[in-house]
Amino acid sequence: MGVIQVDGLEKSYDAVRAVDGMEFRVERGELFGFLGPNGAGKTTTIRALTGQIEPDEGTVRVLETDPVEEPIETRRRVGILPEQESPPSFLTPREFLAFVGRVRDLEPATVEERTAIWAERLGFESKLETLHTDLSRGQQQKVMFAQAFLHDPDVVFIDEPLANLDPLVQEQVKRFLVDYAADDNAVFVSTHNIEVAEEICTRVGIVADGRIVTERSVGTTDEPLLEVFLEHVEGEAVRDTPAVAQAQR
Amino acid sequence: MTTGRNRVGWTIFFALAREEWRLHTRLFGGWRFVCFPFLIAALSLGASVALVETGTAARTIVDGLHLLVFGFGLYCGTAGFAGSDMLENVFGRLSLVLSTATALPLSRRRMLGVFLLKDGLFYGLVFVLPMAVAVVPLVGLSADLPVAVGALWLSLSLTFAAGMVLTVAMIAARTRGVPTWGIALAALTVIVGVGVTGHTASARDALVPLHGSWPAVAGLALTTVFVGIVSLVAYDPAYSRPSRTASDRFARISDALPVGQDALVAKALLDLARSSGGVWKPFVSVSILFALVAAMVGLVREITGIEPAPGIFFGGVLGLSAFTTYNWLTQFDSLEAYLAYPVSIAAVFRAKRTAFVAVGAPTAALPYLVAVVWFEATLFDAVAGAAILAGYALYYYGLTVYVAGFDPNEFLFDAVRFALFTVGVAVALVPTLVAGFVVVPPSTELAAALVCTGVGFGVVGYVLSSRAGPRWEERYRAGTQ
Repeated sequence: MGVIQVDGLEKSYDAVRAVDGMEFRVERGELFGFLGPNGAGKTTTIRALTGQIEPDEGTVRVLETDPVEEPIETRRRVGILPEQESPPSFLTPREFLAFVGRVRDLEPATVEERTAIWAERLGFESKLETLHTDLSRGQQQKVMFAQAFLHDPDVVFIDEPLANLDPLVQEQVKRFLVDYAADDNAVFVSTHNIEVAEEICTRVGIVADGRIVTERSVGTTDEPLLEVFLEHVEGEAVRDTPAVAQAQR
Repeated sequence: MTTGRNRVGWTIFFALAREEWRLHTRLFGGWRFVCFPFLIAALSLGASVALVETGTAARTIVDGLHLLVFGFGLYCGTAGFAGSDMLENVFGRLSLVLSTATALPLSRRRMLGVFLLKDGLFYGLVFVLPMAVAVVPLVGLSADLPVAVGALWLSLSLTFAAGMVLTVAMIAARTRGVPTWGIALAALTVIVGVGVTGHTASARDALVPLHGSWPAVAGLALTTVFVGIVSLVAYDPAYSRPSRTASDRFARISDALPVGQDALVAKALLDLARSSGGVWKPFVSVSILFALVAAMVGLVREITGIEPAPGIFFGGVLGLSAFTTYNWLTQFDSLEAYLAYPVSIAAVFRAKRTAFVAVGAPTAALPYLVAVVWFEATLFDAVAGAAILAGYALYYYGLTVYVAGFDPNEFLFDAVRFALFTVGVAVALVPTLVAGFVVVPPSTELAAALVCTGVGFGVVGYVLSSRAGPRWEERYRAGTQ
């Protein structure tokens, strides 16, 4: 059994079918790219996998827990970097990470040590005492990135990992994610950025209309991921996908 | 050129108005929002009929309505003044037109002006117009009724606009570097000055255009327009606050709390304390409530000679501060944000309740103590009032959390939820106020009965707030919120 296993997942919001028969599995050591245009059902799937919403149909298992029955236990074991903008917290990054450490039952000394490591890795040491609400979006994203990895989880869910980050930090983050997955963990990256998926993922599932339409291991064929994507995804949503827009220009 | 600028102004106005309409209909469902003004009209009419039947003078009812509307304007002012972080957040998140203005060749000063004009008209139609039907029992069903409703509406609207203009003035002062405490001190000086120089009645009359002379009405209107224009001119659109830093207090607060979910409670308290206005925001809100009630008591005493038992009266009404205090405690986070961590929604609600008690108790107790001393309450009255205050505040809190969840501000425009909340409040408050007016000073038996009532409602509030967590967790997990 994979560390993430999804079978026949369905979820609707009123008349809108957000996820429609989603099936896939992710193993340890994989950096799995969940690639699709906006509105394809990526965020809803992540929310179902992390016990934030209950699916209408299907089963999901994450690290041998059932997110529907035991959402707190699932969230205790995984790390989550949500896509939505964080609310205007008036805690400093140091306090915010201490807060996350408390709700994750980490020792204060461990939190302090890891805070220092992450602040240095992502370059926000000088902002550790600045109120979170006064940080730039990129700096806020760095802090949120650090909280997702603070408890050294076996599985991490990341929605658009490079949003708002400057190019230098993007490179660091990409390298870190590759190494983290290779260290017998699993990283689940939801993105609509084809180039990023092709560069860092070991395997990619292309999502359209609420389900995975094709899966492939990256680097196993010469066919560019962009072409595979265009083969399977149609409609106006495709034009929102960065690499497609660039290719069309 | 001028025509072109006017056209742009109207375009912005209609875009903002359309956005406001869609925001509310999308949030609550069309019919629930459309019903809201009718609900306000029904409540105003019902209250007016009840007051007339109990012998309250027409002048008192009209003055009270103006006080209420001015308080509403001031409350909007409080949000802008003490909670500018919240205001910026709301502007940016909810208004696409406002948030994209920075990318368009439009002056932010002009945008703010049009935004306020739109807001004034919106509230004038949705809140103030329905309130004006309170005049029906005063003039009866006659040919003059439409004129009377229209006149009261215009009068109330002018008073409301005066309150709103204060908002702009205070925001403008903030953008020019005037500190919050400086503005608060200035406001306090004006209020105390009016009281000390014996001009309270004149100030009250000035805010009730319906009973004023034409020069007085024109004076209020011109002053409102003048202050509004000056404030917009003074408003610095380029104002941005420098980054703020803070020493690590999270662990200290978290460790000091003798309760579970201490990390969640500590976060709620720090968010409140560090946002603009700090822990004083709830005090400002309750002070406005206190001032309105004190003015009403004075008004009723002056006109009818009746004075309520201050402990019971203020205890019951100041309990309503639970709503504003909880509102402040939920402005700086969202339930969705907690779903990335291993905490349940029920735990988040429990933590909010603890934070509410920590902040709400002193917030309500201080003005209550001022009231019982100022209005010379008897011992029984003061004790009964204290029990009512504590019990009712917890009850109003539980009711708010159960009905509105994490968004107490937004449910004000949802007719169904607002009706539920109003009925819930009325069930506790109306009989208490009647008792406070009829038996003065309260007998031992009445005081004992009211203490029991306070405890009873407190228990109901605790149960409601405990059930709110599972209720809202179910909704969030179903994806219907």
